[in-house]
Amino acid sequence: MMTISVASLAERLARIPKFVLFGAAALVQVALLSVMIVDRVQILRDGKEVTLQSRPVDPRDLLRGDYVVLGYDISQLPAGALLNQPASSRNPPVFVKLTPNRDGIYQAVSVHAEPVPVTSPEVLIRGGIAYGATCGPSGYAFCEKLTIRYNLESYFVPEGEGRKLEDVRNQGKLSVVAAVLPSGRAAIKRLLIDGKPVYEEPWF
Amino acid sequence: MMFDRAYRQRLEADLARWESDGVIPPAAVAAIRVALPPLAPGINIAVVVAIVGGLLIAAAFLAFVAAHWIEIARLLRLAILFAGILTAHGLGGWLARAGQPVLADLCAAVGAIIFGAGIALVGQMYHLGGDFAGGMLLWALGALATATLTGSRGALAVALVAASIWSCMRVIETDVPHFAFVALWLLACGLALAWNSRVAAHLVAVAALPWWIASSFQDHLDFRPSFVLANGAALLFGGGIALAASRWPRAAQAGSVLSTYGAFSLAGVAILEATLANEDFHTRAWAGLANQPLWTISCGVAGVILAFAATATTRRAGTAFAAGAIGLVLAAVALWMPPQSGEPWLAYAALLCAMLCLVVSGMLDAVRPRIVAGWLGIAGVIAAITWAVKGSLLNRSLFLAVAGIVAVVLALGLNRSVPRSRE
Repeated sequence: MMTISVASLAERLARIPKFVLFGAAALVQVALLSVMIVDRVQILRDGKEVTLQSRPVDPRDLLRGDYVVLGYDISQLPAGALLNQPASSRNPPVFVKLTPNRDGIYQAVSVHAEPVPVTSPEVLIRGGIAYGATCGPSGYAFCEKLTIRYNLESYFVPEGEGRKLEDVRNQGKLSVVAAVLPSGRAAIKRLLIDGKPVYEEPWF
Repeated sequence: MMFDRAYRQRLEADLARWESDGVIPPAAVAAIRVALPPLAPGINIAVVVAIVGGLLIAAAFLAFVAAHWIEIARLLRLAILFAGILTAHGLGGWLARAGQPVLADLCAAVGAIIFGAGIALVGQMYHLGGDFAGGMLLWALGALATATLTGSRGALAVALVAASIWSCMRVIETDVPHFAFVALWLLACGLALAWNSRVAAHLVAVAALPWWIASSFQDHLDFRPSFVLANGAALLFGGGIALAASRWPRAAQAGSVLSTYGAFSLAGVAILEATLANEDFHTRAWAGLANQPLWTISCGVAGVILAFAATATTRRAGTAFAAGAIGLVLAAVALWMPPQSGEPWLAYAALLCAMLCLVVSGMLDAVRPRIVAGWLGIAGVIAAITWAVKGSLLNRSLFLAVAGIVAVVLALGLNRSVPRSRE
């Protein structure tokens, strides 16, 4: 039965004009690339704005080509209640509850393995454990300190501007406004130096 | 197609010789020539020069765009990427209609590569550098869709390379085998069958290897990688033999290709096991057989069952010897495990017998790659025994001498009992 269906499928495809099939292949690829962009547009459009304080990162990860690696105060957090809890993998997803301080900079309140309800002005951001989920005696468990990535760590800048941003970041003057959806997914929306916008991300 | 052309040349030369020798009458020669289907149009020198010209222009365009990439507006950069994909596939469609399937295939593959570059560049432009493996999966899916729609072997190769990178990266992240790759691999198998293509079968067989190798090095398994690899090779070889015994010609062709890779994999595993069985490689607390994941063992058992089922269907002694080779390699890796200590003579003997079975199987079934795999396995296992890191060299010499004497006695017995074929 399966052999016949495979052969008949191949025959049916062979009957469609080649030009149409090649066109369909091109459209599939263009559609997949478009999905990447539209997905980000949705985050920028619908996400709640959250200002995050950047911090110096490991010198080995500083500037690669023309993009700046961004680290945040919320990139390294204590595990809290998650300590020694079993993790699903080496790099499990986590949800970090954020709340703004007096200056409007969002800071971490707690880390969770599952989404938890939050009340305004709190925000729940989704991240992935980079380091800190391999502390179990057998299998994976959360360590005392967690290094978390939020898909906000790379920012591409015009050639030659990376070094300037890197210096500003190391002086603690760089902050990032991220858009965060209720699901926790986030994207960079704006870069601020001394609280003033310097890079604004258009939707497209 | 290239092989078809070479076959035609050989056939023409043979026909001319047989006709001049009086073996076949001229009427038969003419009838054979009429019976042959027309050759698909090949690539002539003008087309080759045109391809080189096209590549140079494309390279110049790429260099120009790269030099000004940062200065170009983001939407325009996106439009350039989309235009690249559309141009490659448009050209492919035009060439396919013009009866140039090789060039059309190439265009689809180039389109799939531009799509991969597009994912990387969109990731850069929109700061989406978070999940590299996810990008690879997207690339694999796009290229697989292209291969399905256009029938491009090149696009299938791109899809399988991207999928293998994705899978290897996910294997590092998780503590369970990455079965999602298997689903994608089975889709590629379906394409190879639907196309009835030997090239696609080769691509699919090659793509199975990185997944098994990556799975065998997962830390949580706590076992010699040769155990996982032996089960994988058993499934590939046994499954290939079973498919090759199928009545459906498409499956039989794909199966013969898979079984060739399975035979070489089995030989490679035998060499690896002969090397790792030495105590000096027991560097960590490997777990015993009872603690191994069921899926791994099931794969090995399924391989043996499939090989014996093929033997029952075909009633060929060569297939039975192949099944025996699989069983012996699995027995060697399963029986020689911690807390065993000392020198693994039984495992060495099983591995040598397995490789001998592989050679005999290839001879009886007239499958040359299997014979080559078996000889390579024998050479590798003997080398591994001879140059083992730990243990007495004198004992190994004694073992090899006994094994050699047993083989010679067996040869003498066979020489007397098996009737010789006429020269």
